[in-house]
Amino acid sequence: MTTKTIYDFYKLLENDNISFSYRGGFTNNVLTTATQLFKENIGEEHSKLKNKLSFLMIESFQNISRYSEQEGNDILEDTSEFFMTRNVGDTFYIISANLIDNDKIPTVKEKLERVNTLDKSELNKLYREVLTNKQISEKGGAGLGFIEMVRKTKGKLPFDFVKVDEKQSMFFMQIELKNPKVDDGLEPLPLSDAKFVQEIVADENILMMHKGDFSKEAVGPMLRMVEENMQNVSLKVHKKIFHFLVEILQNISKHAYPINEKREGIFQIGFDDNKFHIGTGNFIAKDEVANLKNQIEMVNSKTKEELNELYRKYLREGKSTKTGSAGLGLIDLARETTDKINFEFIEINNNYSFFSLTVNF
Amino acid sequence: MLGPIILEKTKTTPEIILDKDNNVFKICGRAIIENSQEFFNPIISWFEKYFKNPNSTTELILNIDYLNSSSSLFLMKIFVLFEKNSKTNNKIIWMYDASDDLIKERGEEYKLLTKLDFELKETINEDYEDFNFDI
Repeated sequence: MTTKTIYDFYKLLENDNISFSYRGGFTNNVLTTATQLFKENIGEEHSKLKNKLSFLMIESFQNISRYSEQEGNDILEDTSEFFMTRNVGDTFYIISANLIDNDKIPTVKEKLERVNTLDKSELNKLYREVLTNKQISEKGGAGLGFIEMVRKTKGKLPFDFVKVDEKQSMFFMQIELKNPKVDDGLEPLPLSDAKFVQEIVADENILMMHKGDFSKEAVGPMLRMVEENMQNVSLKVHKKIFHFLVEILQNISKHAYPINEKREGIFQIGFDDNKFHIGTGNFIAKDEVANLKNQIEMVNSKTKEELNELYRKYLREGKSTKTGSAGLGLIDLARETTDKINFEFIEINNNYSFFSLTVNF
Repeated sequence: MLGPIILEKTKTTPEIILDKDNNVFKICGRAIIENSQEFFNPIISWFEKYFKNPNSTTELILNIDYLNSSSSLFLMKIFVLFEKNSKTNNKIIWMYDASDDLIKERGEEYKLLTKLDFELKETINEDYEDFNFDI
């Protein structure tokens, strides 16, 4: 994870009003917090879709566990389970990806192809048939989940299988939920877009990524999700990451440059080379760039010992509130990270720049 | 008469018990509120009033989970107030979980920075593994 990749990710998701992706172990708590994150952060105009969206997210999660062959191991791999939700224009997308045994592909494919070709009354008929016949497949469900998804979205379910080896493939599926009240005139995003995101978050060893408006109450659900993902990390590392996540995310919510009344930002957490990486990106007013740059360069030029001294001096003198507390947080961050703070400013226009930051623990 | 301040813990603020009559002074939980000034100022004023007519001993117990930088500043302000009133037989007890190095280090740092009777006390919280970061 580099400051450059933060910006690349931001550009990739630029049109997303909100987007969230997650890799790793899927538990009910992850599901609860993911739905909460979305429910709390979607725009007013889509508020009627909230319940449907939660329902579909739950179906999608259950689908991952129903068809997944993941063996609950803790190591993240390129083929780890992947889940993404995003809102672009008036459409919500829920994307899942997981390993599936190659010999199960024909059955799943057949079910999906069937629901994708049926019209409304045929779907209802099939739904009743499946319910009454009780043809429960060995993994529980005769495609009932797929039927429900199609009935709820009134759309198709794009899917794909990407071969991993002789035994297994990655199974990708996308649910699209369009707000019928508004028409943005946009073509739906192809499944290949989501496959591309999955590929690069896997390449970059990113566990979790969120892009959206950081002025809203997104911080809490995000932190809970990170915690879910870190059950196996030692408490020492775990607490340190949380401590600074709070600090960094609060900083963005306070200092990000508002564009159309939104404090847009992106946040990533990754694991690589036995270190955790936190990366953030947000816009900042151009006249604040020089000051922020000086502050980071200042803390980067100091040894841990000097930083401790400086931190204690500031704490003791109670350098408050506006500039002081930001300074204190930054010094604290610098003394606890394993490496220097990496940062980059990319000039966007005369008013603001994009500021990205990565730190390692 | 100085009435007590009793606040339940919230997702971002700690539990507060400042009770002169029962001689209980506690700050427990997480202090990660963004607007820490609004939260801590009444607490600081309370102690200012309290030290005008304190009990014969004052033990402030802190058992903190998480602390953001602006809350750190306000804790320091409370400690400075205790320092100014050091003749009143007061004491700070900083509790930390045995596996929580970060909070332990924070306590050591405060101890180093203040001329207070400042005790660091290790605890073993059995519920700790289930600790849920629910803000």
